[in-house]
Amino acid sequence: MIEADIAVVGAGPAGLAAASAAAEAGASVVLVDEYPRVGGQYYRQPPAEFRVDDPARLDAEYTRGEHLFRRARHPRIRVLAETLVWGSFEPGTLEIAQAERLERIRARAIIVCTGAYDRPVAFPGWDLPGVMTAGAAQTLVKHQQVLPGRSILLAGSGPFLLPVAKSLIQAGGRIVAVLEATRPRSWLRHAPGVWGHWRYLKEGWDYLRAIRAARVPLAFGWLVLRAEGDARVERVVVARCDDTWRPVPGTERALAVDALCVGYGFVPAIQLTRLLGCEHVYRPLAGGWVPAHDADMQTSVAGVYVAGEVAGIGGSGAALAEGTLAGLAAAARLGLPVPARQLIAACRARQRARQFGQLLNRLFAPRPALGELITDDVVICRCEEVTAGRIRAILADWTANVNAVKALTRAGMGPCQGRICGGLVADLVARGCGRPLDAVDAFHVRPPIKPLPAGLLARLDQPSSEIPSA
Amino acid sequence: MAIHRIEEIQSHSPFERGAPLTIEVDGEPLPARAGETIATAILASGRPALRWTRTRGRPRALYCGIGVCFDCLVIVEGRGTVRACQTFVAPGMRVSLPRPHDER
Repeated sequence: MIEADIAVVGAGPAGLAAASAAAEAGASVVLVDEYPRVGGQYYRQPPAEFRVDDPARLDAEYTRGEHLFRRARHPRIRVLAETLVWGSFEPGTLEIAQAERLERIRARAIIVCTGAYDRPVAFPGWDLPGVMTAGAAQTLVKHQQVLPGRSILLAGSGPFLLPVAKSLIQAGGRIVAVLEATRPRSWLRHAPGVWGHWRYLKEGWDYLRAIRAARVPLAFGWLVLRAEGDARVERVVVARCDDTWRPVPGTERALAVDALCVGYGFVPAIQLTRLLGCEHVYRPLAGGWVPAHDADMQTSVAGVYVAGEVAGIGGSGAALAEGTLAGLAAAARLGLPVPARQLIAACRARQRARQFGQLLNRLFAPRPALGELITDDVVICRCEEVTAGRIRAILADWTANVNAVKALTRAGMGPCQGRICGGLVADLVARGCGRPLDAVDAFHVRPPIKPLPAGLLARLDQPSSEIPSA
Repeated sequence: MAIHRIEEIQSHSPFERGAPLTIEVDGEPLPARAGETIATAILASGRPALRWTRTRGRPRALYCGIGVCFDCLVIVEGRGTVRACQTFVAPGMRVSLPRPHDER
C-alpha cells in the first residue's frame, strides 16, 4: 500500500502544477503517469536514450517544460512513472499496475489530470496505414524524430494544425497542403472575443509565418472526404465545403499523398473520472462530456478533483492554472495553509485561459455535416471492425443507446474500450434515433480501464513489495 | 507506411539516437536504435503495416500515436500483446505481427 496525502493521476501540465502546488503547501504527493518521463503530451520529453546533440539547436518547444520538471522534483513528491491507474474499489484508493506488479494507493484526495486525445473522426479510408491523427504526427516528430510520410496532407479544423505544421516543416517534412475546414469569415462574428488575448494571436501569427515561409499551401473551407489506397493511403479526395461543412458538388480533387494527418480538436479522457463515479455534463464548447466540478475543481465525488484538458479542452494555460487551483484546494481541504495570493492568481489565469479556449472551441467546433461522410462500409469500431452500416441496421427505439449497440454488435468491446468509437457510436444513435447528443448515454466503464495481462491480475491478492519510484 | 527517420532528409535531428541494436520481426533481423519504439523501428524500415485485422485481414499501422487507440498491437515474445507505439525496442527483442486467424 502506498499512502500519501494527495494522489495526482497524469504528469502533464495540469498534473505537474497540481503536484507542485500541493507539495509546496505541505502535502505529501504521489504523482502517477503511464509514460517513462513526466510531461504528458504537451511537454513530451524525448526518450532518455536520445541524447541532445547540440543544445544550441534545441527548439524552445523541447525545453519549455523544464521549470515544471524542476518544481516537480520536490522532496514531498514521489513520482511513479510507467504506472497505470486501472481501477478503484474503495473511495480514496487507486489500483495501479507497473510492468511486473500491482499495488494500491491510498490518498485523502485524488486529482485527475488525465488530459485529452484527438477527437476521432470517421470517414472512408480512415483506418488505412498512413492515415493518423494530427497528434500522432506531432508525437512522431517530437518524440521519435520521424516524419509520417514523404508527401503529407495535414487537414481538419482547429488551431492545433498550426504547431503540427511547424513541427513537420522544421523536421524537413514536405507538406502538400494544410486544409482548414472553416473559413475566416465565419470567425468574424466572434472576433470581439479575442480582445485582450494578444499573446495567443501572436503565437498563431508566428505559426502562419512559418507555413508561409516554407511555401506550404494553406487553404480554408476545404474538407477531407475520403482516403484511398490498397495497403496504405495513396490518395486523399478533398472538396470545398460550405459553412456547415457540406461538400460543394463539383469541387472534388484527389491529392497524391503517403500520409494524411487529421486534426479535429480534442476530447477529454474521462474514463477514470467515470470509473470513480463522478457526474459528467455534456458541454460542446469544452469538447463534449466533461466531469462536473465546482470553483475549487472538486467533482461530485468528495475528495476527487480534476484539472486541465480532462475538465474541458482549453490549452496549457488553463491546465497549469487549474492544476495549481486543484492542488491548493486539495491541500486546503486537508487543513494545510495555502497562500491566498497564489489561489487568486490561479483563479484569474484560469478564467482568462478558459474564456479563450471556449472561443476557439466555438470557432472550430465540428459541424454536423461531418458525420454525413460516413458511408455504410466505414469501420466505426476499429478494434472489432464494426461498420456504420451494421450499427445503423440495428438502430431502433429499444436500441437507442450505445450500450445496447455495444451488446448487439461488439462495438466498444475491443482493447481501446470504446475510447475511439464511443463518440462515433453516440453520434450514429443520435442521428439514427433522433435524440440530442446530451441525451445519449456512454459506454459503461469497468476496471481495468486499460487492458492488463491476466497473469498480473492473477497476483492481485498477493502481497507486493515496495515499488521503485522514478 | 512512409514513416522515415528525420536524418534521411535533414543533415541531422537535434538529437543523437540511442545505441544501435537489432530486434527480430517475424524471424527477420531489423536494425533499430535504443529509445525508438517498436512502431518506429518497423514502420521506418519500409514495412507498410504493424498487423492485419482479425476478421477482414485489413492492414493497420498507427492512428493515435499516444497509446489510446490500441490499433498498433504487436506480439512480443515473453510479454504478449503490446502497443507498438508505447513499447521501446530492446536488443534481441522478438516481435511478430498479428495476422488474421492467428493461433496463439
